[in-house]
Amino acid sequence: MSELTLLILRLGFLIALWVFVFFVVYAVRSDLFGQRVRRLPAQNSGGPGATAASAPSAASAFLTSAIPRLPAAETEIIASLAAPGSATDAPLRLVITSGDKTGQSLPLTGDTITIGRSADSSLVIKDDYTSTHHARLEIRGGTWILRDLDSTNGTLLGGVRVTGPTPVPWNTPITIGSTSFEVRR
Amino acid sequence: MSTQLTASIPRLKRIRPSQRMRNVELALLLAASAINLAALMLVQLGALGSIDLGPLSLCGLLAVLVLAIHIAMRFVAPQADALILPIATLLNGLGIAEIYRIDIALGNTGWDSLAFKQIAWSALALGGAFAVIMLIRQHRVLQRYTYVAGLIGVVLLLLPMVPGLGIELNGARVWIQIGTLTFQPGEIAKVALAIFFAGYLVQARDTLSMVGRTFLGMRFPRGRDLGPILVIWALSMGVIVFERDLGTGLLFFGLFLVMLYVATGRLSWVMLGLGLVAIGAVLANQFLPYVHDRFLNWTNAFSPAIYDENGGSYQLVQGLFGLAHGGLIGTGLGQGMPYITPVSQSDYIIASLGEELGLIGVFAILCLYLLLVGRGLRIGFAGHDDFSKLLAVGLAFVIALQVFIVVGGVTRVIPLTGLTTPFLAAGGSSLVANWMIAALLLRLSDSIRNEPRLVVGQ
Repeated sequence: MSELTLLILRLGFLIALWVFVFFVVYAVRSDLFGQRVRRLPAQNSGGPGATAASAPSAASAFLTSAIPRLPAAETEIIASLAAPGSATDAPLRLVITSGDKTGQSLPLTGDTITIGRSADSSLVIKDDYTSTHHARLEIRGGTWILRDLDSTNGTLLGGVRVTGPTPVPWNTPITIGSTSFEVRR
Repeated sequence: MSTQLTASIPRLKRIRPSQRMRNVELALLLAASAINLAALMLVQLGALGSIDLGPLSLCGLLAVLVLAIHIAMRFVAPQADALILPIATLLNGLGIAEIYRIDIALGNTGWDSLAFKQIAWSALALGGAFAVIMLIRQHRVLQRYTYVAGLIGVVLLLLPMVPGLGIELNGARVWIQIGTLTFQPGEIAKVALAIFFAGYLVQARDTLSMVGRTFLGMRFPRGRDLGPILVIWALSMGVIVFERDLGTGLLFFGLFLVMLYVATGRLSWVMLGLGLVAIGAVLANQFLPYVHDRFLNWTNAFSPAIYDENGGSYQLVQGLFGLAHGGLIGTGLGQGMPYITPVSQSDYIIASLGEELGLIGVFAILCLYLLLVGRGLRIGFAGHDDFSKLLAVGLAFVIALQVFIVVGGVTRVIPLTGLTTPFLAAGGSSLVANWMIAALLLRLSDSIRNEPRLVVGQ
């Protein structure tokens, strides 16, 4: 094998190494790991710019407050990672209106929101009234449907106990034990 | 009425998690395996002038093992980070290629060949990583074993001191020997201690961060809260004094310091820690001849007397000459002379790679480490609870600190200490431990993403 071929091969190897590095960097950029921007209709066109703006603030938050205890902003970012393709145009939100975490909210992305005491629920409510798998919100043809999953203490929608799949109007309190939340736009 | 409605809504199909991450991982894994095979071929072309299919097929087997882990993750950890596995695979493969290259120059074949052993250990380490991913389905289980992990860590650290079990190699007493098999238990100890520190600091962070008096604009802790840091300092000093292993001692104290800082957010702890390191350095320099020699080798590396001395700076200077010989683009794999440097396959692997791949190649390797550590920190940032955050940061920093201590030592930024370069250097225990770290980070990233979005009530 001639000197020249070897030289070309070894330069090619260095280039391949760096191509790998850049491909990894590219994957980091497009990675789903918490850097997605919330899908607001007005911002759809300016998506990439908004991503860039949100990333440094997240990084600096990590550095300044060493360990934030479940900050609301982070919850939102993680929640927005759920499978895209929700049928609604505008993002609906689940806002806690009474109980322990009043004021916190959860974007209604994805197809299903499970509610219960078990740790694999989307919304975990830990109190004496909640069943392990208490209720479920799922989207059907653009509306969110509330289903009680045979819970012991029941689920109230606007003060009325839910017996079967019920469409959820906006701004109507859903009550489970001592926690209430509403679907808001 | 209600039953009719229920029936009209078809049962929701189980939502299959998106496999996007795994697809990115697959592409990167194939690229990494191709680069690994290319590295081996270049070594053979450069050093032998022909292609030998034996080693190539062995590395092909490793690639198959990695792919098996990838396929298993599609089922048990579909949301895990996509970059950790390919980066670790590439680093491991580059290490094997360089070790093989030095084996050729030294004439090692068969079971004497370190490259062969390294491939066997890689297979074992991959098996270990596979077991970690399959057995630990939720990383927070580890929090229950905080103190067990601490105990295991300390026992593993002290194991080489047991007479009849521990053996001394190259002046450091960090190996244990069972039959013909040698192992460095300290490598596994770093994983156990990272788990212990994370679990312990979750409980202690409030006491360690809230109280204290302000001095020079920093809040310093109370005297009675200094206990833990002093204990860890004493343990690290014990490793340095009794096992004569500077690197490991430095690694553990650095790890604790970083995790303490991340847990409390107090700069005063870092100041205190650095103060303790300075005290330790002065004491060790004064009373431990081997540490004193390391300092002398570092400050006066090019003085002829120290260069020629037994245990002098010969190795350090040869490594620097090798790096200089490599220049910008390197001599090419299989065409340099990295085998002149003592232990060029383990501690000095980065100098060997630097000679043959040049500055450009070494920077690519350092970039890979940077990305790997960055992934770990990113996983920690996304974590929802203190334990997950601390564990991910701790595991990532173990890798970062090792790279800094080794590369800093080889390039004469800090005094040389014997530590292994993660994934690259020849050495089974180090490979097993680092693959365990990679597997834990993968598990963490998957379970963090599957966690609830909002929790009401404690």
